Amino acid sequence: MLQVAKNIYDYRELMATLAWKNIALRYKQAYLGILWAVIKPIMLMLIFTLVRSFVGIDSGNVPYPVLTFAALMLWVFFQEAASEGVTSVVGNTTLIRKIYFPREIFPLTSVLTKLVELGINFLIIMALMAWYGILPGAEALWVPLLIAYTILAALTIAFVGAALNVYYRDVGNALPVMLSLLMYASPVIYPLHLVQEKLVVQQAAGEWSNLLYQVYLLNPLAGLIDGFQNVMLRGLPPDFSAMLPGFVLVACLLPLSYLYFKRAEAYFADVI
Amino acid sequence: MPIIEVDHVSKEYQLGAMQGLKQGLLKTAARLTGKSVAERPLFKALDDVGFSIEQGEVVGIIGHNGAGKSTLLKLLAGISKPTSGSIRVDGRVAPLIEVGAGFIPDFTGRENVYLNGAIMGMSKDYIARKFDEIVDFAEMAEFIDTPVKRYSSGMKVKLAFSVATSISSEILIIDEVLAVGDLAFQQKCIERMENLIKRDGRTVIIVGHNIRQLQRFCERIMLLDHGRISRDGNPSEVCGVFYDEAQRKNIARHVITEGAIEPQRSSGDITVNSIEILDDADIPVDRIGLHEPLKIRATFTCARKLERVEFNVGLHTSDFVHVISVGNALYDALPTLEPGTHQFTCRLSDVPLRPANYALRLLIANQYKQALWSAENIRQVQIAPGRYDITKLPGLGLVDVPAEWNFE
Repeated sequence: MLQVAKNIYDYRELMATLAWKNIALRYKQAYLGILWAVIKPIMLMLIFTLVRSFVGIDSGNVPYPVLTFAALMLWVFFQEAASEGVTSVVGNTTLIRKIYFPREIFPLTSVLTKLVELGINFLIIMALMAWYGILPGAEALWVPLLIAYTILAALTIAFVGAALNVYYRDVGNALPVMLSLLMYASPVIYPLHLVQEKLVVQQAAGEWSNLLYQVYLLNPLAGLIDGFQNVMLRGLPPDFSAMLPGFVLVACLLPLSYLYFKRAEAYFADVI
Repeated sequence: MPIIEVDHVSKEYQLGAMQGLKQGLLKTAARLTGKSVAERPLFKALDDVGFSIEQGEVVGIIGHNGAGKSTLLKLLAGISKPTSGSIRVDGRVAPLIEVGAGFIPDFTGRENVYLNGAIMGMSKDYIARKFDEIVDFAEMAEFIDTPVKRYSSGMKVKLAFSVATSISSEILIIDEVLAVGDLAFQQKCIERMENLIKRDGRTVIIVGHNIRQLQRFCERIMLLDHGRISRDGNPSEVCGVFYDEAQRKNIARHVITEGAIEPQRSSGDITVNSIEILDDADIPVDRIGLHEPLKIRATFTCARKLERVEFNVGLHTSDFVHVISVGNALYDALPTLEPGTHQFTCRLSDVPLRPANYALRLLIANQYKQALWSAENIRQVQIAPGRYDITKLPGLGLVDVPAEWNFE
């Protein structure tokens, strides 16, 4: 892990340049430019808000649009960082064949690229919060740590996925589908406390309820999204008990994922 | 202490394409249960290669297609790893492989210079300092803010070459990049390469097919043959071996069938039955000494009457530099030939060629200069040192002209 940190430091300029390339390339011939980065979460927010007006989702004392937007911006960041990280190695075939630098630069750059787009979404949520008169408290200082944790979660998928994708392109195709399913198993449309109430308070699944709730929390995004909403909108600290199962999972899988990537990288140029 | 050390390195590739899911699962199952599995055949791109390169050496690597040259470069650059053996490289490597492959069409020249530089490991400050020099060398100042997709292919390569050679690294690895741009720019590239090599004292490894260019740059050349190093050492010696091999292959293609030599071009009016090389005593030979006479005698059959027929014979190197070409037109000896079999003999009174292997060429043309019969690489002619001491010949040159020296 120390080696990773050293590589990130040594190759910071290259990563910055590659990230700039990714962003500039995507929006170069687009009239709306980087605004496209915020269109996806905004559209989803509008749809969810519309749906909620039929089915009714209790959003507590926070207005639903801003609550779901907070969830969406973090979710979209995670989803796109992971899936672009997975395709990043294959997408840079010419570079892989041409020159050597540590290959983890590619997934890391994908995450970095998405981080810029996340930054733009922060402007939107601040506008929304101002509109609804919500002031972030001192708890908002948790945000950088939560983002860092989201990055680690995305990298857990990106490293192993990127290496597998070199051998089997199926991975790159399957992942966006799987991730969009995972969105429904994350508190994006509905807040986490509804799940908690159903399972822990009402024991809706009988004796399995508590176990089921812990399984739900294994998804790192479950605790993350709730924590993010807490610190940004509710003025509460993150709910660490909700974050624990996911965090343990990431802490176990990320080193394995990275080691697999490093072992496979020697053969990227031969197989790709 | 050598700067590069390659020790018993082999590299294998699997032949054939990836198999489907079912095949893969079945094989995995078979392997797990300990059954023997038909593996995809392996191809040895490099086979037990070992050498070391000292700081400041300029080494060329030559060989036929598929000999393993590019594989070796990829291993040295760290792009790919050997199957067995070890490689130790001390210092930063800058590979000039597929120059310009990383250019983004939608970016301007300026943006691409920064991007490409960063990819090659240059810092932003370093590129900024070198920027004007890079653009000047590529002669691209006028177009530097135009998207690269509007560039001609020559412009792209010029800019890419300019960026790539601005890098400061201890070791340069170069794959066939010198053949860029027009002739004038190529000259510039060669000068720049020579500067990099001679002035900066970099360690350079060049792969290429332009043997003459390599001979010029390198003080040592390795010849790869089917993944093994078959020669390693003095450039003219190693290149000589390589030329001979290439020539043998070319001549082997001209099999003489049923008393006729197969031409490369023929109008059907003439068949050439045989060609011989003779010494002055009319004894067939395939080698003669430097500055000795040589006779070429050919027997041929005309299908119809031909007037004022022109004959050209010559000797060329295996890379088709035609060093000698003589014709009967110059001597107004154009014969008119009746149908039937004829013979000509052409005597060169003095063959001034540097000792090496050459090949014979013959062209027969009619009075309108249209080719009736022509072929190159007809047979090999070896020029031997003869009565001269070859070690006293200067290192360069193809032709040795008798010279008189006076010192006062």
